[in-house]
Order: sequence, then structure tokens, then C-alpha cells
Amino acid sequence: MRRSDKYRYLVVLAGLVALHFSVRSRLGDDRVAPDFLLLALLMYTVRSQPGRSAAAGFVVGVLRDALTPASFGAGALAHTVVGYLSAWGKAVFFAENMFVSGCLFFAGTWVRNLILVLASGTLTGEVLGWQLLVWSPLQSLSTALTGILVLWLFGRWMMVRITTA
Amino acid sequence: MAMGADRYASRADTLIFVGCLALSFAAMSVPDTVREPMGRVLRQTVLAPFLALQEASEELRTSRARFDAVAAQRDSATLEAAFLPELRRENDRLRSLLSLGQRLSWGYAPAELLHQAEPTNALTVVVSAGRNRGIQPLSGVVSPEGLVGVVQSVDARTSIVLTWAHPDFRASAMAEDGSVFGIVAPHGAAGPGVWLLELGGVAYRRVVPEGTRILTSGLGGVLPRGIPLGTVIGVASEAEGWERTYLVRPAVHPAAVSHVMVLTASRADIRNAFETGNAREDRR
Repeated sequence: MRRSDKYRYLVVLAGLVALHFSVRSRLGDDRVAPDFLLLALLMYTVRSQPGRSAAAGFVVGVLRDALTPASFGAGALAHTVVGYLSAWGKAVFFAENMFVSGCLFFAGTWVRNLILVLASGTLTGEVLGWQLLVWSPLQSLSTALTGILVLWLFGRWMMVRITTA
Repeated sequence: MAMGADRYASRADTLIFVGCLALSFAAMSVPDTVREPMGRVLRQTVLAPFLALQEASEELRTSRARFDAVAAQRDSATLEAAFLPELRRENDRLRSLLSLGQRLSWGYAPAELLHQAEPTNALTVVVSAGRNRGIQPLSGVVSPEGLVGVVQSVDARTSIVLTWAHPDFRASAMAEDGSVFGIVAPHGAAGPGVWLLELGGVAYRRVVPEGTRILTSGLGGVLPRGIPLGTVIGVASEAEGWERTYLVRPAVHPAAVSHVMVLTASRADIRNAFETGNAREDRR
């Protein structure tokens, strides 16, 4: 691994974080627009060990909790679990191709939202159903498609060997 | 180099994971008096540049929308062909906000809502105004249509707003003509009345007709009198011979708002600052 590759990888992650706070609000409904921050976390977990991924998820979750106090702590829990499971699952189960990575992004986003709403306890009844069965899948889909696009563009920098099969 | 397919969780990984889980549960269980300072520190340090970036992005978006509006006024034919409905609504909201500012004339601070990606975004939102603009906790947050919420906590440059959809939200309310008083609260997250408000504590003998506008009453001194909360759309429940609870369609939905005014000065009555629904339609 060349040193420049590491920097390129970090640049892509930093770019995703910047997109989250600059472009995301212009991409339509908040409930559907891709979650660039979570995508950056998932891409980090793809090539990191589960422990570091869990710690990264915890840090991202705590920072997001500071911006949405209605679910304080729940975000940290959700991002920790998703970070750990993503790194662990990727290492144990998954092959490396575009579709599987997309599925990982989709599942990661949906599971994050599931844990978040259940742990925070702020959404119940029909709102919970709509959130988990409509809005979360749509946000997961947009996040997954964005992730696939990023991998397609910067796959070599991300040190991910992409196959289309 | 590819991802390591032979990499599994070591004991250290598991310990870190369990540690992070424990910290997460601890964060969930700490009281508001602890979590709020923690959040404030994070917002004022690590998150400050990101919030500044988001605020700059929102301002850029607004500037572009207003520029498009001016260009569209110069060419009405292009307006109809090319102007996006969303930008038209954005422009209309900004114009309404400007006229609200003129009518309030003093004691307010404009701010942008910095929406986040979490599902709970509609319950508490961050606004781009804090102590630097004179914001204080429990300040009212309004849009041209009515009340968005109240300020929960204040940082140097941002504030957290508890919207009317949050389960903890309560506001002293009255009918527009002052004949009925009660307490407005979120109706709940289940059933057909989801994302609605309810007006409770209304004496059984007092009937509130459908279509009645509900305003803040000013009782309690937290919110000034006269901020629209919504419109009565029916009876939610009634305790025989005792009281009725009415369903109220909110005047404004937090997710649809991009700019707000935060009331920074204590005022008794600001009914004249808000347009009636008919007046807004006439202006359009």
C-alpha cells in the first residue's frame, strides 16, 4: 500500500463528510436524501477491524447525537452496532463486488435507523411503521446508490477490489 | 491489496465494541442536565466547522433561490417555463418571512434550520442563531405561518429547538376570539391523528367549531399571545360532562421550514404580526 493511496482514501472520506454538511440539504426530503456521513463510516468499516469500526461508529454517533438531542445516546448505540457488524460481517461473510457493497450500505443504513428509532423511543405507532417500512428503505436505497457511485469512481483509492459479477 | 476476507473480530475488538456499547447506554441514561452540556461542548468545538459549512451552504442556497426569483420576475415567460415549483415555494416562504420581520419590527433574530438526517429530526432541530444573536432558552421560534417550537438550549452560535411535534411540547392556547382556553400538545404518533396537535382542557360546555384558529394565549409568560398554532379540525375525545379535547391541524410543519424567526424579546401580544389564511391567499 502506497502512502499516497492512504491519503487519497482519507480525502474521499473527508469529501463525503463535507458533502453531508454542504450538499445534502439540496438533495430533497431529509428522510430520503443519502446519508453521506453514515456512508463514510461504512466505507471506513469496509477496510478496518471491527473494534476500530465500533469506536469510529461511536464517535460519529455521539457527534450526531449532539445535533439531534431527541435521540441522545441512541445515535451512538446505533452507529456503534452498525460499525462493528459492518466490519465483522464484511470480513466473515461477504465477497467483494459492487452489488454486495451496495447491499451492505443499504442494510447498514436501515439497521442504523431501526436501532435509532427503537432505542430513542420517540417514534411509535404508524409513524414508526412509515419510518421503518417507507422512509428508511428509501434513504437506504439512495445511500446505497451513492455508495456504489463512490466506489465506482474511487474504488481503487478505497483499496476495494470491485468486481461486477 | 483487497479487503481481508480472513479478518475476524479479535478479543480486543470485542472489548472495544462492548465498551462503546456501555458508553452508548450510559449516554442514553444520563439526565438532560448532563447531556446538554456535553452536546453543547461538541457543537462548539468539533462540530463548529461543520455547522458553519452547513450554514454557509444554506445561505448559498437561499441566495441562489432569490437570484432566480429576481431573474424570473424580469421574464415572466421564462418564469412559467423554467421556474421550479420548489424554488417558487422557497421564494414565497422567504417573502413571508421578510414581511413577518417587518411586522414584528423588533425583538427577533432570523435563523436557518439546519436539518439533520436522523428520523428524529422533526422533533428537535438546530437553528443557526445562538447567544451571539441574543437567543435565550424558551424563546419562541416562529415562521410566517405560526409557531415552530421553543428554544430548548442555546450555544454560542446555534440553538436547539424543541418543535411542537416533540412529546414534551406544551403551549397555553386559546381560540382566536378568546372565548376558549386550553393546553395544546402533540396528539401522538399513532392513529389517524398523527402529526397533529390536540387542544385539551376545554370545558365541556364550550364548543369549538371546526375551522377555528388556535393561537397562543400568552398565559404563563413563556410565549407571547397571538402566535398561530393551528386550526381545529374536529373532536379527538371527550369526557362526558367534563371536558373535550379537539384535534388541531398545525399551522406549520417543522420539516417544511427552512428559515425561522426566533423571538428574542419578551412581548405581550403579537397577533398583528401574523397574517390570517385569507390575507395570505389575497396577497398571492
